[in-house]
Amino acid sequence: MPIHFKSPVFLSISIATSLSLVYFLFLHQPQVDYNADVKPILNQKCISCHGGVKKKGGFSLLFQEEALSPTESGKPAIIAGDAQNSEMIKRLYAKDLDERMPYHEEELSDQEKKILERWIDQGAKFSTHWAYLPVQKTTVPSGGFFAFIKKKDGTEIDRFIDQELDEVGLNRSNEADKKTLLRRVALDLIGMPAPSQIQQSFLNDSSAHAYEILVDSLLQLPAYGERWTAMWMDLARYADSKGYERDYIRSIFRYRDWLINAFNQDKPYDHFITEQLAGDLLPNPSDEQFLATAFHRNTMNNDEGGTDNEEFRTAAVIDRVNTTWETLLGTSFACVQCHSHPYDPFRHEEYYSFMAFFNNSRDEDTYDEYPLLREFRNNSIPQYDSVITWLQTKADPSTKNFYKTLVKTGQQCINSLTADSLTNAALEDTKFLRMRKNAWARIKSVGLTDKQVLYIRFRSPVKSGQLDFYVGSGSSKPFASTQIKQTKDGWTLISIPIKQKLNGRHDVLIHFDSPLLKNGNDNGPVFDWFCFAPSFPGVNDPSFHTYFQTFVSLLNRPDAELTPIMMDNPSDLKRNTYVFERGNWLLKTKLVEAGIPSIFNPQQKQFRNRLDLARWMTDKKNPLTARTMVNRLWEQLFGQGIVETLEDFGSQGALPSHQQLLDYLSYQFMHEDQWSIKKTLKRMVMSATYRQSSIVDKKTIEKDPLNKFYARAPRVRLSAEQIRDQALVICGAYSNKMFGPSVMPYQPDGIWASPYDGRTWEQSKGEDLYRRAIYTYWKRTGPYPTQINFDGTAREVCVSRRIRTNTPLQALNLLNDSTYWDLSVKFAQNIISRYPTNLEKGIVHAYETAVGNAPDPSKVKLLKQLYWTSVQSIQKNPEKTNAMLNDSSLHKTHALAAMAITANAILNLDEVITKN
Amino acid sequence: MKKLPIHQEAKKLELEFHTRRHFLQQCRTGMGMLALGSLLDGCNFFGEDMGNHSISHANPLAAKASPLPGKAKSVIFLHMAGAPSQLEMFDFKPALQKMDGMDCPDSFIQGKKFAFIRGVPKLLGPQAEFKQYGESGIWLSNHMPYFPSVVDDVAILKAVSTDQFNHAPAQLLMHCGTARLGRPSMGSWVTYGLGTENSNLPGFVVLTSGGRNPDAGKSVWGSGFLPSVYQGVQCRSEGDPVLFLKDPNGIDRDMRKASIEAINKVNEISYQEFQDPEILSRISQYEMAFNMQIAVPDVMNISDEPEYIHRMYGTKPGKESFANNILLARKLVEKGVRFVQLFDWGWDSHGTDPGTALDLGFIQKCRENDQAVTALLTDLKQRGLLDETLVVWGGEFGRTPMQENRDGKQNVFKGRDHHSDAFCMWMAGGGIRKGFTYGETDEIGYNAVDGKVSVFDVQATILKQLGFEHTSFTYPFQGRNFRLTDVFGKVIDPIIA
Repeated sequence: MPIHFKSPVFLSISIATSLSLVYFLFLHQPQVDYNADVKPILNQKCISCHGGVKKKGGFSLLFQEEALSPTESGKPAIIAGDAQNSEMIKRLYAKDLDERMPYHEEELSDQEKKILERWIDQGAKFSTHWAYLPVQKTTVPSGGFFAFIKKKDGTEIDRFIDQELDEVGLNRSNEADKKTLLRRVALDLIGMPAPSQIQQSFLNDSSAHAYEILVDSLLQLPAYGERWTAMWMDLARYADSKGYERDYIRSIFRYRDWLINAFNQDKPYDHFITEQLAGDLLPNPSDEQFLATAFHRNTMNNDEGGTDNEEFRTAAVIDRVNTTWETLLGTSFACVQCHSHPYDPFRHEEYYSFMAFFNNSRDEDTYDEYPLLREFRNNSIPQYDSVITWLQTKADPSTKNFYKTLVKTGQQCINSLTADSLTNAALEDTKFLRMRKNAWARIKSVGLTDKQVLYIRFRSPVKSGQLDFYVGSGSSKPFASTQIKQTKDGWTLISIPIKQKLNGRHDVLIHFDSPLLKNGNDNGPVFDWFCFAPSFPGVNDPSFHTYFQTFVSLLNRPDAELTPIMMDNPSDLKRNTYVFERGNWLLKTKLVEAGIPSIFNPQQKQFRNRLDLARWMTDKKNPLTARTMVNRLWEQLFGQGIVETLEDFGSQGALPSHQQLLDYLSYQFMHEDQWSIKKTLKRMVMSATYRQSSIVDKKTIEKDPLNKFYARAPRVRLSAEQIRDQALVICGAYSNKMFGPSVMPYQPDGIWASPYDGRTWEQSKGEDLYRRAIYTYWKRTGPYPTQINFDGTAREVCVSRRIRTNTPLQALNLLNDSTYWDLSVKFAQNIISRYPTNLEKGIVHAYETAVGNAPDPSKVKLLKQLYWTSVQSIQKNPEKTNAMLNDSSLHKTHALAAMAITANAILNLDEVITKN
Repeated sequence: MKKLPIHQEAKKLELEFHTRRHFLQQCRTGMGMLALGSLLDGCNFFGEDMGNHSISHANPLAAKASPLPGKAKSVIFLHMAGAPSQLEMFDFKPALQKMDGMDCPDSFIQGKKFAFIRGVPKLLGPQAEFKQYGESGIWLSNHMPYFPSVVDDVAILKAVSTDQFNHAPAQLLMHCGTARLGRPSMGSWVTYGLGTENSNLPGFVVLTSGGRNPDAGKSVWGSGFLPSVYQGVQCRSEGDPVLFLKDPNGIDRDMRKASIEAINKVNEISYQEFQDPEILSRISQYEMAFNMQIAVPDVMNISDEPEYIHRMYGTKPGKESFANNILLARKLVEKGVRFVQLFDWGWDSHGTDPGTALDLGFIQKCRENDQAVTALLTDLKQRGLLDETLVVWGGEFGRTPMQENRDGKQNVFKGRDHHSDAFCMWMAGGGIRKGFTYGETDEIGYNAVDGKVSVFDVQATILKQLGFEHTSFTYPFQGRNFRLTDVFGKVIDPIIA
């Protein structure tokens, strides 16, 4: 449209406008925001060649000092304050395609070039990524000028949500109806429908507090802990097997039980993670605190013959580093293993400093997964108590501590597979030291100061043989000797007195021989471990022998639950940690000490061990810990995180959709709620945002198809665990038995087919068939199919986020799996016994039980039709009934069979497997 | 009106942000289509290119066009788990014959780590006779009497190398591009990128023979960080061919049809209420499930193949065998399955027992393999499918020119240890050069001297034939873009036709 200058007034206004536009465009240069404007361009266009991985031309944009330093040309590519003369900018405009950057890629847009120029002109300042800045107290939005006419139903959370909604011109939906809300909040907080008395009291309570009372009562249920444990088990990569090729059984369910208790007690999150990271390093750790450390013993363990234990110990340590960062700090750290982080300010070396926290743990990929916590049972309890009393009265403090730790954790034993210099001996199947005729082996650097007795755990097929221990060359006299006899009853524990006083560290040589071994290949004894110890105290006491024998049998084969735990090597056996060149564990370079990345430690504070690490993580100044957890909780309730990439808050992760809200929640979590998960969850589910309806109109869906602004409640398919648990409750089969070894509910044959595992899936009996999903046995190479079909992971490594899919295999699973068919029959029985003569009422009841709401009559009609079609089909061929109802205890009627088909259909409805 | 299968409609609708009326109209058509048959001949998909590889929630397996024109539409990857000896099959080394029984030169073992060889092993000459075959004059051993008839159709890579010498890590490297667990397998990448042509069958099917899964377990067909919908579906010879495929006892097709109809109609009403496109997707998934229940047992049943086919492949219906799986692979790609991965256990010829002896068990494995594999190439060719089907054959590594001496003692039978520096694989069809060999090893077959390629190069080439540039086919995870070939790989151009 042509512009006509009609009046001088208009003209002058126009000139003024144009001038201010000119000023705005060319003279006034608005301050560039490094994080919002510059970093995304650098990450996308520059840093893959000029970053942590590659530094083409000696130029890197990862750290400020690197970016401003001279490049290979001898001059810096960026001259702060002078874009025109900065080589980096010149290269963006170069005509020669071999000169122009990004190299042989699309040219930057004019806008992008301008941003980079302005950034350099303004001093090329780097600023800290939002997620690495401490959480500040956030002002709750007032609601703006029109606040007084806005909905007043909300909590503080809603004000943050509303602020964004206002901007896009959307409104929050109305509150969902009571029954929908009841089902939703129960599935979210306890992972299954609420118990009927809680349901009833909520539905009958018309007071304003009814919902809050409901939330409070759900948070008190033991089922709450089970539900949140399910989330944590993915993060902890929990499994009941060791992984890798052989994938043998691992008994670590006590850790799962610890999680349930911790959630139920609402253990403050700072304690929750401190105990998992470093419970063993707390003063006088309790059994519970030891159990918590099993968190990092969920790493895989390789039993494959011919593999190098050190290689897989290292792999486990690396997994602990990556898991700690991803799970607790929402940061992808794995790439720093090979080089500096390509996008975020972590240096290659810092990976290994961090690894040093975990590199000194006792475990070394042994078959029995030592060290193990021993939780005594039955007769072992009084035995343990009596040994402890004996030690308390007879032993000096250091001897007492030595023996107490030994009995409780089996430490400090030396695992036989660390033996080397083998002659006529072998590390059999890389598990245990086996000795043959005239055999030699060496254990390096054993501390022998004040050691007066040697305990050995062994088995032997030979009637008798001579076992000698030497220091030095083996030509001198042995310092300990014994005749060992054939063992009849598996592992046997003997003690051998140490005859010489030996100070300091020595290599110990072990020699075995027996004239009964004729052939060089005949097997002699096999050893589990050796333990060099001070004398068992009280040798002069008449009861010494009794107590000593009690101690020996307790140490050898206690009646106890054994759980792998974390423990550190004693200080004199501390492992050194080196930087691995390009992540290769065989190429060890620089020696490093434990520490955290310098961006988080500007004062260069010293860190000693995992406990220091935990202290840093749970410090309220730590920018990541609270944000990471709050974001997880939000994701569990709302189906997506405020930061969508739960696993990565770094500059390559997604930006938060509501950063202020995230910070507000994080601040409240730490300061207001003192790290209480229950309080934080309550805060979230009390919000009007959470309570709104999921029914959506077209306008909203068009404006916000992915529900990023929360103008409606999300509709999300239930997790694998929720689907199973809910079905158990709906069908009246649910067993509320908690804790204990994992169980084996129905599973099709042929799932467990790994090459070496002789174990089979032995179906559990009785109520163990009907327990919550978290109790189902988890074998890494053959995970439970329903779990995998519904987006579970193999738990080989930690996974923060399950990606939801919708597949025909899920349909087949719910239609045909024996678990769900069996439950359908049970469901049908309940419906019929309640409404034996009224089909309509029976189906309405069934639907209500499953969905929580009364069905639309058209749905009832369809389900009734299915029932009658099934009856007709069965009447034509009554044999079907017998086949369908093959449990001998069932009263096999056509009605039951037809109702089972109908019940099965109900369990498959979208509304049933979705949180509405 | 034009009949569009409901799941396609669902996808289309989701893309258009669906109008309800339109949906319900189509939905009714969809219900009618449960009258079977109509979906079983494979499906027409939208001709349109979806452009990017974002995952559609409505139908994550919908067929997608490759970013670049690809020669191959599907892949059959034949993995001889345990690693067959290239020196008794494809890499003829007369000089090694002359050096048979001599100590291995120090230069080959200095600083090297082997799985089982200790000390100084002896060289072991080829345990087979070699001759040149076909117009291409390719050398083949006498253990493969059938293969000469198709040798002019294949390209043999004679100098493939890997950096892993234990089975599980090497198998992972071959299929997932890393020796560690947790990354997607090749088949998952491919179904993620291309979807599948037949939604009544899984897009990525795994078949195993030899009585065991591969050492690396199910991770070699796992989806890693990709959504689990892209993981390989193991089709089994016993029990349900696919888990939960069979209806509960006593429930026949009509009853199943009635129940799925009821479920879908109730869901249809829920859709009216909630407007959630995921419900449309669920409706289509239940239809697909119903169709899979027929399509999968049908395709897995080889007994109705004609007699001449059974003779050609050496198949015997009703038992689990490598030959049966090979025939199944042909049936699956014919029906539009995108990626078929076969594992055959038993190629680990250490010479510790007769089964792993190069002059006993190994010959038997070669024979079983030879007839069936030759039949596959012949059959695909006859059906005009070889041009669009890429067949890949190989193990996870090769075997040493030295005879194995476990723990320093010569093994009782003739066998070879694991060898990672040079081994043979071959490819055929899908735009691969015919009757060609690439790469050469030294005179004893220890090291590559020419045309050395890595496992990553093989992966890059497979992706290239499917229409992907391997360096730009990525998925973001843990803060970076991952790809099948990690940071390595170069397409092996000389073997592309």
